[in-house]
Amino acid sequence: MRRTPVWIFLACLCTPSFALYPGEIYREDLRIQPLRDGRVSTTFSFVTVLEGAVPRNPMALGQVDESQHYALFPLTLGQILREHAITELHLTLNAGRWNYDNWGHPHEAGVGTGAELWAWMGASEITTVDERWSGLRNALSGLFCASLGSLDSRRTLSPTVAFPLSGSTPTFAPHELRHASLPSENVCTENLTPFLKLLPCKSHAGLASLLNPQKVFDADWHGMGIHVIWKEDTGVELKLTLQAVFNPVRTSTGKRRDWNLQLLFDRSIERSCPVASSSSITVILPEEKDYQIIPEYPAHVDGLAIYDLSSSSNFTIPSNIAMSWPSEHSFQYPLPPLTPVTPISVKRTIHGTTQTRGILSVSVTNNSPQEISAGYLEMVPALLTLWMHTLKVEINSQIRSDLLSGLKYHPPSPQSNDRLSPLDVASCPHNSTKDHARNFHRGQQSFSEIHRTSTRCDERLGSTRGRVFPAPSIVSRYPSEL
Amino acid sequence: MLLIPIPLLSQGTYIDENALQPAQVNTYWNWGDVHTADLQLYQLDGIRERNLTSEQRAEFFRTEFSKLGLAASIQNYSFSTSKGTVSGNNVYAVMSSPRAAGTEAMVISASWLSRAGHGALNLRGTSTVLSLAAFFKDYSLWAKDIIFIISDDYLHGMHAWLNAYHGTIPSNLHTDPLEHTSGVIWTALNIDYSSHSFSHLGVFHEGLNGRLPNQDLINSFRLISHYTGGVPMTVYDHLEPSDSVDRLPEQSAFPSWVPLFIQQSPQLQQYGYRMRNVVRHIGYQARGMCSGVHGLMHQFRIDAITLFAVPADGPHGFHALGRIVESTLRTMNNLLERLHASFFFYILTSPGTFMKIGMFLPSAILVSVAMLFKGLGEWVTAGWVCEITQASSKGNETEKPSPTKGTWRNRRRPLVSALIVVVITHVLGVLVFNLVCSRWFAEYPSFLAPAIFAVVSVIPPMLLPLLSANGPEAAPTSMLLKASNLCLASTVISIMSLLNFSLAAMLAITMGVPLATSYTSSSTVTSRLRYAGYCMLGWGWLVLVPGEVESAIWNWEVLGVWFAPFICIVYAPLVMQAAIVCLQGL
Repeated sequence: MRRTPVWIFLACLCTPSFALYPGEIYREDLRIQPLRDGRVSTTFSFVTVLEGAVPRNPMALGQVDESQHYALFPLTLGQILREHAITELHLTLNAGRWNYDNWGHPHEAGVGTGAELWAWMGASEITTVDERWSGLRNALSGLFCASLGSLDSRRTLSPTVAFPLSGSTPTFAPHELRHASLPSENVCTENLTPFLKLLPCKSHAGLASLLNPQKVFDADWHGMGIHVIWKEDTGVELKLTLQAVFNPVRTSTGKRRDWNLQLLFDRSIERSCPVASSSSITVILPEEKDYQIIPEYPAHVDGLAIYDLSSSSNFTIPSNIAMSWPSEHSFQYPLPPLTPVTPISVKRTIHGTTQTRGILSVSVTNNSPQEISAGYLEMVPALLTLWMHTLKVEINSQIRSDLLSGLKYHPPSPQSNDRLSPLDVASCPHNSTKDHARNFHRGQQSFSEIHRTSTRCDERLGSTRGRVFPAPSIVSRYPSEL
Repeated sequence: MLLIPIPLLSQGTYIDENALQPAQVNTYWNWGDVHTADLQLYQLDGIRERNLTSEQRAEFFRTEFSKLGLAASIQNYSFSTSKGTVSGNNVYAVMSSPRAAGTEAMVISASWLSRAGHGALNLRGTSTVLSLAAFFKDYSLWAKDIIFIISDDYLHGMHAWLNAYHGTIPSNLHTDPLEHTSGVIWTALNIDYSSHSFSHLGVFHEGLNGRLPNQDLINSFRLISHYTGGVPMTVYDHLEPSDSVDRLPEQSAFPSWVPLFIQQSPQLQQYGYRMRNVVRHIGYQARGMCSGVHGLMHQFRIDAITLFAVPADGPHGFHALGRIVESTLRTMNNLLERLHASFFFYILTSPGTFMKIGMFLPSAILVSVAMLFKGLGEWVTAGWVCEITQASSKGNETEKPSPTKGTWRNRRRPLVSALIVVVITHVLGVLVFNLVCSRWFAEYPSFLAPAIFAVVSVIPPMLLPLLSANGPEAAPTSMLLKASNLCLASTVISIMSLLNFSLAAMLAITMGVPLATSYTSSSTVTSRLRYAGYCMLGWGWLVLVPGEVESAIWNWEVLGVWFAPFICIVYAPLVMQAAIVCLQGL
């Protein structure tokens, strides 16, 4: 009799039921979309919700924090969030250039090359926001094996218009934003391994078992994201995303665009993750009906085929999803002129032949029939100086300065070796292309100031690597919002 | 300067950049890809037979690139020159490399016309580019974007594309901004393969205005060509003496009248071969001309060479060329920073040997320094005059006055009139240059060239009397003019020797002795003859080599080669100053 509670306890431990983890929900989802250039976009998202949890109040940073008992939520990340009182956190690590013209908008925003980190934190007198920002960077660079520690004050700024709070606005303290990006950061397996460790099933079960580094890092584009958002009604939500754009035409022998899970990842799902409350694979079906998909989906909901991994009604484990175009001998690329997929196309180019001077030209094309107003944010490292008096706005070689409004420019201050961030809000008439051109001057760096990343020195004098500018941000405002 | 081709002064080439690792990869280019190239060639043969226009051709190439899924586009351009408008259509395609941000790029290009001349079409070169595009996009190992360009005509097509790409559009070029762009271009290979098959791959490396690519590119290419493709590399399109035994006599380094024992001596053959390389190098570089389409890229700090398939009956073709280009690009793909380790100033005396700048620069600098000393000596001499005392001259009337018996005294050296002559000659040079570049000259060269020559030869003697003659208290203007002329020429040669060694060497030859030996002769006839000789040296090219004049003007107007303005504004006035020295004092 004395042993009964022990048995009950052991029985509880062995029962995989999320009733065991009150207040924590885990769900996973994979979206697969065949693209028009024969590539296949895959987006994994793993969401863990801490129900009812509230971000730490920065006013209470001096006091002992409440104890952290997580079952599904990763403790390593949770500790970092509590330690630095982070309300909202976004970290993306991407490799490659997202081809908006052919691939459209990504399912998960934030596809700029390299590392990008931004966080909203409550202001506090105990520890300043900048101190906590520095601690957060170093903690995350340790956690993800990335060079985030070098995102120092020269690369940090606070563009609140372009990066607003995604979740609810907390009332306990005024909040501040810190944003930094490192376009030269290379993303590789050493970043994927710690990413997988944050998942409750690691890569042993569920959708994450598909994540084969050899295949993911051979994709034409790949990127991972960590997003922590606080929503007042649900709690703290951690969303781990991984996107990859595969090219079956390149990897298959017959240059066909047919794909299946085994071919894309060289792995299959052997078992589902037992702690996941929902686990599904969604295939976004192309508009042309000449494809064949196996297994046949029960019903298409707005052009989607949804396979539920947790219920075995239409999906048996282990199983494979395959899509093929039986009538095609080999994939024929669509020939131009192609209709643009996105309402706005932006092309940014650096012209110039010398190492010290150049022209930054941004060409914005409005592909939609109505006028669009959009915000444009360019964050430039401190060693570059943009000359705003050389800013020129042209449409068809005609100067149209009236299209630009709300131009903001923060020049770097010499004391802090600070950064600059011009923010343009511009409206673009329908079906037209607008060119901005701005001269810049690449300042001389003294040798001691040269920024050194963990892997290599990327801005060595004279080496002239192309990567000088971090990715810009476009904030669209559609006519309905104006 | 004659010592330059001696083998002892050259040293072996070597790879300086450790990241390159040339010829260390297994290439994937196989016979299937050769078949693709053959099919492309078949289509291009059809294009040649149907005589398609430039626009139709460009449309064909763009469709071919688009079928591969590459972002392809056409660039229309037109240059306005004094001889009329030149226009054409370039086709280019950008292959975005997987997983890279596209901040750096490499270029594979082929011009529609081959450098072989006589309207030879670079059909095999273009089909190599097309099939390489189909081949490269199937691999994920590229760290840099690859841009494929098929440029119209021979030179101006690529020039228009490069200027549009870098946003440096000159005022006489009309083109739209490029639709697709990529990152900074680091390396470029230009393929020129017009014959049926080839035995050697010739490397052309001279760029506009005497620029050269980093030697590591040529050295890696040589190793790759040898080890990966099994094709020997040559400098330019003539063969080494060891290779050309069974070749036609025109491949020999010596003309036919040279005695047979000299022709067959291995040392002299080697000397002759190297001499030929150096002469060709100086021929391209001194005139600021590029030896191929690659040469247009050096001004944008792109390391580029032209691979010229030396026409032969065999044994190599698409298979060897594809593997070599693949391997070379993969070598350049390794780079984390631009080529910077190896040499930028060199003379390739043979494929495997080169001369460092330290070995050849003294030949021009020594002449320049000698001219400087001569000029300073003239300046010092001008400051002193020997006054022969009355007594000594009375005693020996028949003897020549000897300086040892006179007393030396200082005299003034008024530079103003000498400087006026200098300024007038250079202003005259500017005027002639503007006239030569004008539309009138392009329309009536046969009439205007002798007219200009006559005018520039006649004006200086007419202006001479206007200059104030210096009194006996001052040094004669001719001496001062000669001093300033020599110093100026010496400065020009020394500066040139760093920018463009070949031009400096040519200047040292054409100006060194003539300028140093200019003097005022007592005989009018001799002076006039000397003056005429200097005029021929300075401006004679107007009448003697109309073809060169035309090409130099075209190079200046379209490609921006400053050889023509340099000759008109700097070289010819300097020689004319020496000519005026001969006339002064008459």
